[in-house]
Amino acid sequence: MNASRAPDETFEPYEEHRGIPLPVLWIAIALAIWGVVMLFHTHHAVGVARVERAGEAQVQAEDTPLSGASIFAARCATCHQPNAVGVSGAIPPLSGSPFAAARPEVVTQILLHGIDGPIEVSGARFDGHMPSFASVLSDDDLARVANHVRKTWGGAKFDLDAAFVARERARFPARGAWTGGAEIAATLDPTLPSQPASIPGQTELADAATLSIVNRGSGGGWACASCHGARGEGRGNVPRLAGLPADYIVKQLDDFATKRRDNETMTLVARSLSSAQRRSLGSYYAEMRSPSSARPELGGDLSRGETLALQGDWAKGIPACFSCHGPSGFGVAPGFPALAAQHSGYTAGQLAAWRGGTRRNSPVEMMNRIAAALGDSDRRAVADYLATLPPVPAAAPKETAHGRSGAR
Amino acid sequence: MADPAPDDLAPDAASTRRERHASTARTAVLAVAGGTALFVLGSIFIDTGLIGHADTNRDVVASEPAAFSPPPMSSIPAGPEGDAIRRGMQIFLNPGTNAREFVGNSLACKNCHLDAGRKPDSAPMWAAWVAYPKYRSKNKQINTMEDRVKGCFTYSMNAQDGPSGKPPPPGSDIYKDLEVYFHWLAKNAPTGVDMEGAGYPEPTLSAAGYDPVRGAQVYSQNCAACHGSDGQGRQDINGRVVFPPLWGPRSYNWGAGMARIDNAAGFIKANMPLGQGNRLSDQQAWDVAAFVNSHERPKDPRQTGSVAEAAAKNHKDEKSYYGKVLDGRLIGVGTPLPAR
Repeated sequence: MNASRAPDETFEPYEEHRGIPLPVLWIAIALAIWGVVMLFHTHHAVGVARVERAGEAQVQAEDTPLSGASIFAARCATCHQPNAVGVSGAIPPLSGSPFAAARPEVVTQILLHGIDGPIEVSGARFDGHMPSFASVLSDDDLARVANHVRKTWGGAKFDLDAAFVARERARFPARGAWTGGAEIAATLDPTLPSQPASIPGQTELADAATLSIVNRGSGGGWACASCHGARGEGRGNVPRLAGLPADYIVKQLDDFATKRRDNETMTLVARSLSSAQRRSLGSYYAEMRSPSSARPELGGDLSRGETLALQGDWAKGIPACFSCHGPSGFGVAPGFPALAAQHSGYTAGQLAAWRGGTRRNSPVEMMNRIAAALGDSDRRAVADYLATLPPVPAAAPKETAHGRSGAR
Repeated sequence: MADPAPDDLAPDAASTRRERHASTARTAVLAVAGGTALFVLGSIFIDTGLIGHADTNRDVVASEPAAFSPPPMSSIPAGPEGDAIRRGMQIFLNPGTNAREFVGNSLACKNCHLDAGRKPDSAPMWAAWVAYPKYRSKNKQINTMEDRVKGCFTYSMNAQDGPSGKPPPPGSDIYKDLEVYFHWLAKNAPTGVDMEGAGYPEPTLSAAGYDPVRGAQVYSQNCAACHGSDGQGRQDINGRVVFPPLWGPRSYNWGAGMARIDNAAGFIKANMPLGQGNRLSDQQAWDVAAFVNSHERPKDPRQTGSVAEAAAKNHKDEKSYYGKVLDGRLIGVGTPLPAR
């Protein structure tokens, strides 16, 4: 090797390879790990929630079937009262009721189809409006609660089973509510004490023009049924309309039209409707009976939801939902919509909108104040609970003393 | 690590390559270790809350914690005493059925004592329980809790129009069940102490006084949505009272504490609209209370002679319209018996 070597003429200056500074690598790697962990977390959380929800559903459905007494406490006591004495002048008692002591078909059929008409119990007459539980309770649950009622207040000795309920369910598949005590006595048990005659139902069909809006839409507007369903049952975050007070529906359409309530789609629809059309649609849906298609879908805590609906949480300044929306969530005409059987996605979404201030069309900002005190878990809890309730037994159209006044 | 073999180009290149590999490996190890350390450090910071973790959905914490809180409903004990507590609660919530003989209107205890008698500033029963027996100027004698509840049936529930025409007889189980319910609500409450949240607060009365005409405006804006513009409340499809009537034959009578404007103003200010206590100003509360109590309602059962005599005997110096003339109309004559 020569000691002195001529400079290499082919030498090209080049930059030393310099590694990426370590801190940059640190940050990059930390971020990468964080990303992977977050992905895993989210995936895991979704998975866990799914498993938990399925687990809860199974727990309720199979593992620990609710006793008849607890179904009664949760489903019946808001109206018939925990001691089954009913509410004087409004809700018939079960305690001492000949209907509880009648043939087993009677209680079962009343639970399956509800009542919409006059009924006489222990000498007192009631204008009964009881919901159908067919869409919210299984045959098993219905059998258990029927047994509880019949044994506790009817002196029954033998239990019914789910197969009996299933047969009774199949017996009158398409019928609506019982039109009162007279029809129940005539059809199911002639030994029942004599009953007041049913008032002939004013089940007049909606006029063709209204049906056309419902099914085909008005000029420029979508058909109601295309989103709200053929029976006004709604889905997901599209509300159930069946059984809402007519005045409430009209007010919402008016508010959509004036953008007091914000929803682009509904603004277009409402603006295509005359005020007479809005009113006829209001009556159409108010008088509609349809089974519940709502289910608890948000993984909410149902017992917390029940507490909020029935008692509220005064420590947070939250009154019970039912103190304004009626003792069973059936709504109070004209201003308070039914909540029972509403879709959980819609209810929770509206509560979030009230809270966020994107919806503010309630009198004296009532719902904004209440929703401001409801956190995410409470919103899901109460929305899920309301979705488990039987739908409002839509009353036949009636012009009561102040039923149609004070429309807001 | 590097091979020290000198003067050999090929081995030298190999060693450099090896060296470079080694240094790359070292860098990789350092980078991964440092990155992991940084991640761990970051998670620790977030977990300990040193770095904000915005949770907009966190439940709102109660703004005014109650000084006293009664036991939760779920803690009613089993056994005969628990049964009596539950019966008392049912009477409180649904007296028209569970004490129907003695109720002559559409009201229930829970209408004025909100949250089943638990809510502070809504005349909670836990505070009332520890305040009795006591002297009341209303009847100028020592009143036991039974005497006091008898007063509720007589005036607020208008027993004179009920099926029996009078309040429950002395020693009735209705009193016992209600009392054991109140006693249970007052668990751990101090006796002989003016408890915070007892009764209704009294709003300040300004020089403007109270005025039913101003009150009518407040009413239509804040109350009519629920109680109706006719003040008759509302019922659900089954005829169950949801919003109680505020005047007329199905409401409290002229002897009730709520017929006094100061009392009603206090209840309204602290509790109405429902869930929005203190939304109204003191002035609005006084005015709307005056508006509500300027309407006719069932007669004072203590009235034996004329309204004027009853006014002098039982309504002296009180803030009410009883016995006064408003718009040419004598107030306090009563409303006809409601149809049953």
